[in-house]
Amino acid sequence: MLYPEIVIVGCGNPLFADDGFGPAVIEELQKLTLPDNVAVIDAGLGAPHFIFTLLDPEVTKKLVIVDCADFGAEPGSITRLRVEDLPPGSYRDAHSWDIAEPLQRIKDRIEITVIGCQPKRVTDPEMEIGLSDEVLKAIPKTVRLVLEIIGVDYGTTIKCLQEERQRGTAKSCGSTETS
Amino acid sequence: MSKVVEISPTTRHEGHSKLVLKVNDAGIIEKGNWCSITPVRGVEKLAVGKTPEQVPKIASRVCGICPVAHCLAGIEAMEASIKCEIPKDAQMLRHIVQLGNRCHSIALHNILLLPDYYIPGTEVKINPFTAEEPVRSVAKRIQRLREISQTICQIAGGEAIHPSNPRIGGMYRNCSEQAKTKMYDLAKEGLTLAHAQAEFMIAVIRNYHKRDFVDVGGKKIPMPKDLGFHNQGYLATHAFYGSSSLDECPSWDINRFKEARPYDWYMGEMEVSLEDASYPVGGTTKMGTKTNPQMEACTGIPMYDGQPVEVGPRARLVTYKNYDEKGTCGQNIARQMEYQDCFYEMLDCIDALNPAGKVIADFIPDGDGSLGWASNEAPRGTDVHIARVKDWKVQYYSMLVPTTWNFATCSAALTGAPWQLAEVIMRGYDPCVSCATHMIVIDEDNRLVAQKLIQ
Repeated sequence: MLYPEIVIVGCGNPLFADDGFGPAVIEELQKLTLPDNVAVIDAGLGAPHFIFTLLDPEVTKKLVIVDCADFGAEPGSITRLRVEDLPPGSYRDAHSWDIAEPLQRIKDRIEITVIGCQPKRVTDPEMEIGLSDEVLKAIPKTVRLVLEIIGVDYGTTIKCLQEERQRGTAKSCGSTETS
Repeated sequence: MSKVVEISPTTRHEGHSKLVLKVNDAGIIEKGNWCSITPVRGVEKLAVGKTPEQVPKIASRVCGICPVAHCLAGIEAMEASIKCEIPKDAQMLRHIVQLGNRCHSIALHNILLLPDYYIPGTEVKINPFTAEEPVRSVAKRIQRLREISQTICQIAGGEAIHPSNPRIGGMYRNCSEQAKTKMYDLAKEGLTLAHAQAEFMIAVIRNYHKRDFVDVGGKKIPMPKDLGFHNQGYLATHAFYGSSSLDECPSWDINRFKEARPYDWYMGEMEVSLEDASYPVGGTTKMGTKTNPQMEACTGIPMYDGQPVEVGPRARLVTYKNYDEKGTCGQNIARQMEYQDCFYEMLDCIDALNPAGKVIADFIPDGDGSLGWASNEAPRGTDVHIARVKDWKVQYYSMLVPTTWNFATCSAALTGAPWQLAEVIMRGYDPCVSCATHMIVIDEDNRLVAQKLIQ
């Protein structure tokens, strides 16, 4: 509950198309049974001013952040970033309060990994619900990557679970294509 | 001769807005416009045609600061439209989430406000991030208050940030007996801290407003005793929670509400004729820049009984607790006074909560297309959502969020203050601008859609 050893955070707004990548990955992770010392948090759009109250450098060892990031690759590509790679932010107002600045401050005490996914389209300020196909396909890969980072081996079960879910997702999205 | 000065963007609040101020030779504001420059988003359109269950999810993503208020107001507007009454224990859980959200929002606002103030008895401004005492222990207390209220939100609301537990017809699940005890313990710890924090904040706020001069960007600015006074009236619908069209005596009346276009209300095109490069952060807008609040403002001007009103903590205290302090000072103090109220109320709600009780209504109607509204007293004021649900599909959805009310009221409150203190007045409203710009509810005949629907 409070102050877990490993914190996985998904950032982004599902109302801006591919910006919802973080919360979508979290939704998948929440379906898995993870060890008690892992907290999976859908930070949505409140990350900078909410997640830091969920960390305690004395207890928390690892922080994994999942977000969409524009690094000029093909849509749906995944990258692992270090805090040093992030542009420095500044403290001006709470909505655009960049998460990078507070991360710089805690990076020596907590191991931080940022997983970025190249979005196809982020519709801000227009609202649109639903990830693009490319980004949707990056979700299973990201889930595996997160599990690898936190050292959880889900074995073959995860593949079965994912196939089941993909069928479910395709149906609920109204898409005609099924795997 | 009046001069025009523009502060854009305004800082240390949520979202993007600007201040356009007409000032006299002494630098006193003759007329001020505070307007949102965040682009309008179409959340109303997005909700139409969806099922009511999807709306809380959408509504809670409108804002990262008060997801709880939007989520609850959205759900309750749907419930008001389909006429669904929820069990008492579900209501208690919602109240607990609401109060948790209010508390951590006040704590966040403390961090945003503190850099304006001085450590009492010194000429040193407070930097909330310094490692030095006495500020360090205050920052730690704020952090702990946020932890406590977020954890309570997480227990009662399902998740720490965007609540997942509330649903149409009640809540998905009740909490366990142990969880109830945990919330109780946390709330008791929170109450002690809230008392200490409110006392500290009230002391530094009073200290600041009692000064003859305050420092802004290295200049001494005279502090008026009536900073932020206005005579616009107040609107609040409940001391801490809200009201809805299902209530026996609703405390908000949709027929008394009207909206004006920003075009009719804000000042027209002007040229910036006063500039101060030393103004924090990064100076004011350069001389000669054209500014046009009429065209740039993104929100409508909501009016209650024909004029803009103030919503927020002071409006609640004035309406329900005979509070009488005016101006920016009174407003900030009112917000700190809500700290303890949050926890007293929360303890009462936790007491009243029965973990074995049912939290979902026995019957959830599909909706017959009647108009329902629900108001939620968000940390920064009255948040009204209006909805129409028919056959389990949303036909109409509209949000009337707190800061939209406050834009016009704050603009009126700017008059008479030195322009350098305009941002101080604005911050007193704890503005959350980005959600304020999601909604203009006027149809092509310039009539309010909501009113048309009632006729």
